[in-house]
Parts: sequence; structure tokens; C-alpha cells
Amino acid sequence: MKALQVIDQAFRTTTEEQDDAILWLTRSMRGAGGDLMVLLKGHAVHYAVLTGRQPPLTLGNWQQQQPAELHRDISGLVESGVAVYAVEEDLIERGLARLPLQGGVQAIPRTRIPALYEQADQVWHW
Amino acid sequence: MSDYLFIQSQDPFTEIATTSQYQLATQLSQAGNSVTVLLVQNGVVPARRNARSEAFDQLLQSGVTVIADDFSLHQREIADSDLKDNIAVTSIHKVIDAMLAGHKVIWN
Amino acid sequence: MSTHKTLTFAFMDPPFESERTVTFFRLLDAALERGAHVRIFAYEGAVGLSFARQAAHGNAVHNRDLDSEKHPLTREWIASLQHKAAAKGLTFEWINCGLCVDERGVNEVIDGCGRGGPPDLWRYATEAFNTLTIGTR
Repeated sequence: MKALQVIDQAFRTTTEEQDDAILWLTRSMRGAGGDLMVLLKGHAVHYAVLTGRQPPLTLGNWQQQQPAELHRDISGLVESGVAVYAVEEDLIERGLARLPLQGGVQAIPRTRIPALYEQADQVWHW
Repeated sequence: MSDYLFIQSQDPFTEIATTSQYQLATQLSQAGNSVTVLLVQNGVVPARRNARSEAFDQLLQSGVTVIADDFSLHQREIADSDLKDNIAVTSIHKVIDAMLAGHKVIWN
Repeated sequence: MSTHKTLTFAFMDPPFESERTVTFFRLLDAALERGAHVRIFAYEGAVGLSFARQAAHGNAVHNRDLDSEKHPLTREWIASLQHKAAAKGLTFEWINCGLCVDERGVNEVIDGCGRGGPPDLWRYATEAFNTLTIGTR
């Protein structure tokens, strides 16, 4: 069974969880043998172009030690054999189209999303 | 070709992504798939007669089957007669029926 | 219509914060009505749904005391669905993501709810006839 993970939100859990909850879930399921694809749309296309570690949060005398490394989470997925796609129009709308994509991430136009949905046995929209 | 059921909880008045969600449903339908959109929660709000959403009205004209959850309608006091044309009222069991029929059931 | 197929649901919302929680439970109830075995993977905030220490309260604004307010609690919803499943000869399995439980401190859960992780979601999904995921916003 091939499942497409559709992620359209970003930065919701990245500070508190020190990762994106769905990217993490996907990597974990991949580790358990999951046959998965990832579609980044909406604000989640940011994940396709980030290059560094998230800024650490400081509150009072509490200092974050391990901020999220979203760029590594994406590259880890790609290296594990998970196809990762990002919606072109969503990159363009957010002024991100001229930034280089993470290695292995494929930009696709919205018109190709139906084909991706057809390719998957199940579509899990988070 | 596949059967799709989108459980549409997002609405075009508060979530701009809803328009592209409607468009995706339409694209899948135009590609020859059977597509149903079940409106739930605030997703039913554009279904009220005289509600203004060009994107939703286009969805109604697109060939996609649009149905609305009775509980969500009841909460918002939208009677059957208050609905725009081409929207059938249904129960949430429709989701389960679709899942049990092997359709691709997707939450928006 | 009794099919005895298994359906898996993954959910992320905690109690009391979102209309999605109500729709999710309505779907679980409907699944049992349709004769499906049900498996749930509760992720992130949803691990609070089965917390055993949820407590009802009265409501002075409603002018109702504890007994008369009859405040809903999701742990009671889960228990009710467990009973419904048992009465129908169906299975109703609930796994909380363990790390999500730990970080929220909601380790005390009602009977019939267990602890697991993402491999369990994949297992549930691959063993089920169909799966629905409901994300949070």
C-alpha cells in the first residue's frame, strides 16, 4: 500500500516538538517499512527551501538546545526513498520560487496533483 | 479511475486554501474520477442560499457531487429548504460507507 | 450492514479545542453502526482524549451544578464506544503515540487504550481495509 502524506501547514509544532510532527511521523513510518510519498503544499512548501537549523527559543533562563533541523528532515526522507513533491504555485505565491529546492524535492504544478492522488492507494491529508 | 470522498470541514470565508481544495475536487472529476464532497462543520456555511462564495458556486456547477452533513446543518440552523440547489443532506455514515467501499476518503 | 472490515483512523486534536474532535467521534460511532472493526491511532494532542483523570464540573453561568451540567468528557465517549463495539461483537482498539503521551504527562489512560508509536499507525493502516487521517490546524 502506497500512502501519500499531504502536508499544508508549517511551523506549527517545529519549536515545541523540535521537528514537524508529520515529517517526523512519516520518517518513523518509513523506518518501519512504509511505502510513502510526501506532498508539500500551502505554507509547508517552506520546508522545501529551508537551508539551516531553526532559531533556538529563549524564555527567561530557558534556552532551547536542539532546535528543529527541517532541512535535514527533508533530506532524510529523500535519502530513505520517499518521493517529496512541492507545489510550484504555492512556492511562487510565497515568493520562494527563486530559492533552490532541497536536493531530491520535485516541484510540481497544481495540475499534476490529481495524478499524484491517483498514484497513491491512500491519501492522508494532515 | 478512482472514487473520492472529500470531507470538507474548511470553508472559503476563513481558509483561503478552500478554493484550491474545491478546484482539486473538480480537476479529479474532470479527469474521469467519481468525486463527492461532504460538507461538515463550517464547511456547510457556503451552502446556505444567499451565501456568497463564487468558488463554492463553481464547485456546485462542476459535476462534483456535493452533500452536506445533517448534524452540521442542524447546529447552524440551516434547514433543507435553506440550501442552495444541487446539495443533498446526508448523515456522517456516508463517510463510513465510502471507506467500506474502498474509496479514497480525504479530510480537508 | 455488517461487513466486519477494519477501518483505521488517525487523529491529532485534544479534547475541548476543536469541532474536529466531535466529528471524529461521530465517525467512530458511525463506523461501529456500519459493523466495522475500528482501530485508532491518537497522535499529538489526541492522546489527551483517553486521559483517565478528566473530570466533569458544574457551570455557574449555566446555573447548573456538577450533577445537572453533565459535562461531556471524551474518556466517557471512548468508554461508550468500547461498550458499543463489545455489544456488537466488534473490536475497538485505541493506541496513543507514547512520546506524545510522555510530553503531555497524560500517562493515566482509561482501560482499553494502549501505548505505541508510528510503526503501529503503519501496521494499523496496512492491516485495515481503509484509513482516514484527520490532521489538526
